[in-house]
Amino acid sequence: MRDTPTRRDFLAAGAGVAALAAAPRFAFGQAATTFRVGSLCPISGGGSSYGSGMQKAIEIALAEVNGDGGAGGRKLELFSEDSQTKPEAAVLAAKKLIEVNKVQAILGTWSSGVTLAVMPLTDAANIIEMNTSGAPAISTLDTKDLVWRFQATNDQIGAAFGAAAEKRGFKRAATMAFNNASGIGNTEGFKKVWEKAHGKVVASVVYEPNRPSYRTELQQILGAKPDVVVTGSYLPDSTILLREWYQTGQDVKWIMPGWAANADLVKALGNEVVEGVIAVDAISNEGAASYKRLDAEYQKAMGKSISTNVYAAMTYDMVISLALAMEAAGPGATVAQVNGKIRDVSNPPGTKVFSFAEGKKLLAQKQKVNYEGASSRLDFDKYGDVTPDFGMYVIEKGQIVRKDVITL
Amino acid sequence: MTLADFVNLLINGTVEGLLMALPALALTLVMAIARFPNAATGDYMTVSAYAAVGVQWLIPGSLLLAAVGAIAAGVAVSLLFYLWVFRALRGRPLVASLVASIGVAFFARSILTFSVGQDQLALQVPMMRAWNFSGIRVLPLDLVVAAVSIVAMALLFTLLRLTPVGRQMRAVADNPDLARASGIRANRVLLVLWAVVGALCALGGFLFGAKSVVSPELGWEQLIPAFAAMILGGIGSPAGAVAGAVLLGIAQELSVPLVGPSYKIAVAFAVLLLVLLVRPRGLFGVAIAAR
Repeated sequence: MRDTPTRRDFLAAGAGVAALAAAPRFAFGQAATTFRVGSLCPISGGGSSYGSGMQKAIEIALAEVNGDGGAGGRKLELFSEDSQTKPEAAVLAAKKLIEVNKVQAILGTWSSGVTLAVMPLTDAANIIEMNTSGAPAISTLDTKDLVWRFQATNDQIGAAFGAAAEKRGFKRAATMAFNNASGIGNTEGFKKVWEKAHGKVVASVVYEPNRPSYRTELQQILGAKPDVVVTGSYLPDSTILLREWYQTGQDVKWIMPGWAANADLVKALGNEVVEGVIAVDAISNEGAASYKRLDAEYQKAMGKSISTNVYAAMTYDMVISLALAMEAAGPGATVAQVNGKIRDVSNPPGTKVFSFAEGKKLLAQKQKVNYEGASSRLDFDKYGDVTPDFGMYVIEKGQIVRKDVITL
Repeated sequence: MTLADFVNLLINGTVEGLLMALPALALTLVMAIARFPNAATGDYMTVSAYAAVGVQWLIPGSLLLAAVGAIAAGVAVSLLFYLWVFRALRGRPLVASLVASIGVAFFARSILTFSVGQDQLALQVPMMRAWNFSGIRVLPLDLVVAAVSIVAMALLFTLLRLTPVGRQMRAVADNPDLARASGIRANRVLLVLWAVVGALCALGGFLFGAKSVVSPELGWEQLIPAFAAMILGGIGSPAGAVAGAVLLGIAQELSVPLVGPSYKIAVAFAVLLLVLLVRPRGLFGVAIAAR
């Protein structure tokens, strides 16, 4: 091995140092006039069909805020990382965002596993965390009130299942849950609502992931002769459940979450098997001006309607509500002061506003504003959770047709 | 619980067991002849299942062609990794091959997810209603799964018992040194072994995919149950692997009315523990200390 550095080594080292100095992300003397925001969307992994759109929506909102002169006298500065939809990868990325980029908020964590893994870090750093995850535990673990959830909780989704079952006039409900916090959360949420009106569910089962067959579990459920089975399930297990149920020939209806009963399920099983399956999922705030404006921008950037990605509407709202809170907190506010204003600018009372610019104008006149988001009315409860509306869909001839909107 | 319910559980358990017997056989053969636990067994299943989906994508409709495609892919991938990785590690300690097989497993899966993505795929299987014999429901697909498994096992046992190369395989399994001294060419035996292992994994992956869905973790998730079946049956014993798999399958399903589906897997492992306490070498195992 050579032990004296050659000219080539010097060149390489020199180039490396130059690159390091030139890299904008490595700015040492960050201007105090920016508010640093980290985005941690699921660009790859299980959430990859949503991640890129979520990040794009953050960029759209950021351009809107900065284009209007920033918030509270500061521009927003964005640092983006990929959570890979994996808790381990997300923790590393969050560490980098917090320690290297010194971000003051992390936005866009998607699955509950990722959010629950990142929360201890953001909590320890006393920065804001905004997510689109459903696990009920996120509410209770958020002791400093720094965590904001833009998605329905599993409890709320369960309640929406209950409302859907009610609308369809079912009498004998049974539940099947995938054995994790989200799956069980959904069916428990359903039971809470259902048992008030109808007494106990006729049967319920919690099943294990990755089984070749769920016949035995189905036998437990179908033996109780339910007229509807409500599931807290995912796509692969739902595929197996429905295929095996169809083959038994027993007549029963299904209510499933929208992320399980989707176009891929239809593709896997064919139109006949999934005919009449009821899907329930959160929907965006489709009537609002904020939604329509974002839809136009999103269409331009992604070539698709924002209705294809409910989570992107949520990440958009994250930036807008954060920026309005900064505006309300005034110039030079600390993270805690900004955080304290998030409810003020999003919840009633106050004049309804549908964009950052509208809100900024009214805030300058010392008026109270109530931001109506693209994803939901965006009214945070004491846990920092919102209550979106839900759509009830029925699969008809392979098409997923919306039948009703459920407002909890 | 009625008698019909009980029989249904028994059927479910037997079918799951017969399905699990295929990778368990593949594991136990490698254990007996190449002498290491092949952690890539599950991923050979996965690759084969994807090959079956690929064949169906090219030539829609035919399940038989898909099965042939799966077997071809399984044999190819198994031979490839033997020639590329495991042959070079022959004669090294067991740990070297074991660790290499874990690497092979990750490698195969990464190539797969890189090229086809993480999304689930499904084999197009004709939907047929179950036959209902006064409450006892039999799925035609389950009968196919059971029949294919049984035929595959019959072929394997014919190969091992009645053909010259089968005798040579058993000779190598019994005593590699003596086999070499009697002029058995280990290379040929090992090529046959890995081809058979590939075919078994392929059938397992194909049937698993036909019953459930095809995803990148399909086979990897079945590795532990297959290991358990092999150990229960006695390491290195093909008949034991089948018996172990079926016993675990039945124990698992029959326990559901007692402990619920969340704990059925734990019950299967409790059975494994009990059997090993009474009979440490497994059901059909040979006492290794005697050698």
